[in-house]
Amino acid sequence: MVNVFACPVIVVALGLLAPALGGAQSSDLERRVLQLEEKMRKLDPAFGRDAPVDLLSRLEALERKMERLLQAPAEPAPPAVSPLQPVSVSGDYQASKDAETRLPVSGYMDFHFNKNRGDPGQFDFHRFVLLFGHSFSDRIKFWSELELEHALVEGGEEKGEVALEQAYLDFLIKPYFNLRAGMLLTPVGLVNERHEPPSFNGVERPFVETVIIPTTWREMGFGATGDLGRGFRYRAYLMSSLNAARFDARQGIGGGKTNGFEASFRNPAKVGRLEYVGLRRLALGTSFYSGHAGFDLHRINPRINIFSVDGRYGYRRLEFRGLFANTWISRSGELNASLERTLGRNPNIGSQLRGAYFEPAVHLFPRRLRQDLIVFTRYEKYNTQHRMPKGFVSLPQFDRWSWVAGATYKPNADVAIKFDYNFNRNASSVIRVADTLNLGIGWWF
Amino acid sequence: MRLVALLALASALLGEERKPDRTISIVAERFYFSPSRIVVKEGALVEFVVASEDTDHGFRIPAAGIDAAIPQQGKGELRVRFVAARKGKYPFECSRACGAGHNLMRGEIVVK
Repeated sequence: MVNVFACPVIVVALGLLAPALGGAQSSDLERRVLQLEEKMRKLDPAFGRDAPVDLLSRLEALERKMERLLQAPAEPAPPAVSPLQPVSVSGDYQASKDAETRLPVSGYMDFHFNKNRGDPGQFDFHRFVLLFGHSFSDRIKFWSELELEHALVEGGEEKGEVALEQAYLDFLIKPYFNLRAGMLLTPVGLVNERHEPPSFNGVERPFVETVIIPTTWREMGFGATGDLGRGFRYRAYLMSSLNAARFDARQGIGGGKTNGFEASFRNPAKVGRLEYVGLRRLALGTSFYSGHAGFDLHRINPRINIFSVDGRYGYRRLEFRGLFANTWISRSGELNASLERTLGRNPNIGSQLRGAYFEPAVHLFPRRLRQDLIVFTRYEKYNTQHRMPKGFVSLPQFDRWSWVAGATYKPNADVAIKFDYNFNRNASSVIRVADTLNLGIGWWF
Repeated sequence: MRLVALLALASALLGEERKPDRTISIVAERFYFSPSRIVVKEGALVEFVVASEDTDHGFRIPAAGIDAAIPQQGKGELRVRFVAARKGKYPFECSRACGAGHNLMRGEIVVK
């Protein structure tokens, strides 16, 4: 390779040499010209093969070579070789070359019409959720969801709510081990962490994932996440505990969510989820939760254990999803007695809560179309008093089941127009539960 | 190493006409890529065909300077070609907000 930066030095040397030609010793001059020729040959090995004999001609040859080198364009620096050399990208329609990934605002919305049989219907802008994220670097990322429920919030009145649904930092260390801290979604069940309206059938979320697993369930916490390879992923957190003082017979543990407000970390709950997503269109998951919930109670500290398994599977134009969840509440007899002393009534909380559902669905339009029409049915059975503590009797109205039949039309993968009819039943011959008609539009952007 | 880099560069320049040494289908779905760990040989011309099962996702490979969009289901697929020039482990990730679990939608390319 020719070092053009050496050339000016040699030209200057030649310039200094020229005036000395007349009086200098010829042997000294010849030695110095010879040195220059040797240097030139380092730049161009072919130089001086047919060198003239006399000193002046050799100097002129050096000058001419210098001129040519100075006039020659500098060679471009070789391009940096990145470890993965991009060759082509096709099918992309919004490429970005920004070094920092600054995510735009995104979100989802849910607009419903619900009508219980025998009652007038009601419109409800159920959820208006905005998501914000930011990548501080490739290893530190922020994510959040801010939610407005039921459209209106007024001070002190039971209307809507503004809630921080999640807000956390991810510290990405290795694929199999990363750290996460902040307001986290409890990793239990199918819907709690994957609740964007187009991602599930039905206007409302499944009853089992509303009553037995109280979505949207979020708590303060921290923990580890990772991809173990071969399709296995996990999340393991320590989270603020439920408040057993707010449990009841109808909603089970749902009232005990702190949602990060005055959350207790005195006895943090241990929560974990293991997922398998190694085969196309198959996702399996199992979750556990274990934690004490008595921080707001006097002298009793019941332990809450939850176990759930769930799965989603797609075959051709068929899709299936299902979930089973069981909750154990220890010392529920003492809990009922304690709350009865405080509230003046027996909350009749069960010692075990259990629920399950199964949902087959069929896509009526061919896969190649941009639109989709899904017809589904779902059977759900859930009982917030599956087992009762000694001395307490279960109430049959809390042993519930539903058949849900409906359709989801997607003019776009991110827009879902939904309809369903719920045939709701319970084991009571006295207290009946009404059937429900639901219409809704949900979208993600 | 220098020879491999030069070969990789030459391959990159000629890669459009060359048939990929390996084509890998990747499914993108809230909130994972499947497969999420992809092993390729050093020097190989690799093509990823990435299709979404739901919404738009992004596909960013920082080591290749690639950040492209994966079209939502029913709107086609993304094809990315690159030459695995140097041994190592290189992450890829979803670069478009796709929902509650977006941050963990990641994977790794292992060049051996």
